[in-house]
Amino acid sequence: MPVITINGPIGCGSVTIGQMVAEQMGLSFVDRLVFTEASRIIGTPVGTLIAKEQRVDRFRDRLGRFVQTMLERSAMSGVSGEPYFGRGIENLPPETYMDLTGESGVGGKVDDKTFIDAMTQVVTDIHKKGDAVIIGRGANQILADASQTLHVGLLAPLEVRVETLMSREHFERDEAEIHVIELERAREDFVKKFWKVHPNDPQHYHMILNMGKMSPKTAAEVIVHAAGDLL
Amino acid sequence: MFPEVTLVPPTREDVHRLSGWLKDSDVSDVWFGVGKNGKPLHATYNPDDVLAGGPEDWNQVFNDDNKSIFSVYDGHGQHIGEGQLLIEWPLLEAQAHLLIGCKDMWHNHYGTSALIGLLDHAFGPLGLHRVWVAVPEYNEPGMTMVKHLGFVLEGRLRKTHPKNDEWYDSSILGLLAEEYPRRRARLTETTVG
Repeated sequence: MPVITINGPIGCGSVTIGQMVAEQMGLSFVDRLVFTEASRIIGTPVGTLIAKEQRVDRFRDRLGRFVQTMLERSAMSGVSGEPYFGRGIENLPPETYMDLTGESGVGGKVDDKTFIDAMTQVVTDIHKKGDAVIIGRGANQILADASQTLHVGLLAPLEVRVETLMSREHFERDEAEIHVIELERAREDFVKKFWKVHPNDPQHYHMILNMGKMSPKTAAEVIVHAAGDLL
Repeated sequence: MFPEVTLVPPTREDVHRLSGWLKDSDVSDVWFGVGKNGKPLHATYNPDDVLAGGPEDWNQVFNDDNKSIFSVYDGHGQHIGEGQLLIEWPLLEAQAHLLIGCKDMWHNHYGTSALIGLLDHAFGPLGLHRVWVAVPEYNEPGMTMVKHLGFVLEGRLRKTHPKNDEWYDSSILGLLAEEYPRRRARLTETTVG
């Protein structure tokens, strides 16, 4: 009844490796399906949940929040805003401008507790059924102490991840670089926000594989071998 | 370029033709197989029951806000298949089914053209956010087609698809509204022979 979680920044090959492992071990493979199942539990479009994981808090968002906060404060106090007596930009609330206006992605806003409860339920249910490979989505944190579970982390140099994205999504190089960097930041924010840890911290994995140094096929073989201990 | 198809509301003649296609084991084998009574299964409704029923039965299937069912016609006005979108409005998503029942048209990209038509309808007038498909492991051409269209593999579930008293693996692939324009543009740039 093994469950294997594979986590890594975009472009590391988590999906490719996860499919190879699932195929070799006769396991189910679960990727974005975690979100789609959670969206059914909550009753909201899946885009609302994906935005929770892939939201990139760009400078313009932070600036938007700053302006919004000041405008709201002015409106509440009934006077024109005096931002310098308020909290500084470094102390702004964690919500983005879109959160504050209730426009966070398709179908409106989902609060953090509802979101994480649904995600936890989906991942826990998968673990109960067993025999699955789960890609990302904080599954290694949700199942941190679960039995018969192997947590694998992946890393790769930026250049490798950019090349992967250029080849897979047909991005131009600069477009791929921006995408990789922003999604990596979003991933870090997501894991830090909900589990207060860094996603690349080795203590949350049984092993971490450097995909700049091995092929997906080799990585899959290593994982299958390691998962043998769970059987 | 992909072959021309049009999606139109089904007529009784279309449903009758569909019923005939399903009785061909070559067709039902790549679709839902046969039920315990030995009769071929179809997605959402039973064509023979609808043909035998009255206007109310017809309306329940073809005039339901939670379903968009179309007959697929080729560029010469020949009926070649059926496409369905089964909509879950609270989630703004739909499961797509597509059957090219006319065997002569297989492997000529009519399925791809018809699915593009369904997706255009789903992400255009219907304003949906996600369209997904469940492809059983025995339908390899179907899998190739949806991957070519840019559907993302969301999961592959073991032994979840029943057919002819056996269980098969099923792959769930999804496409989001924001992913579609880029993939559609790339697809239509590709010349397919």
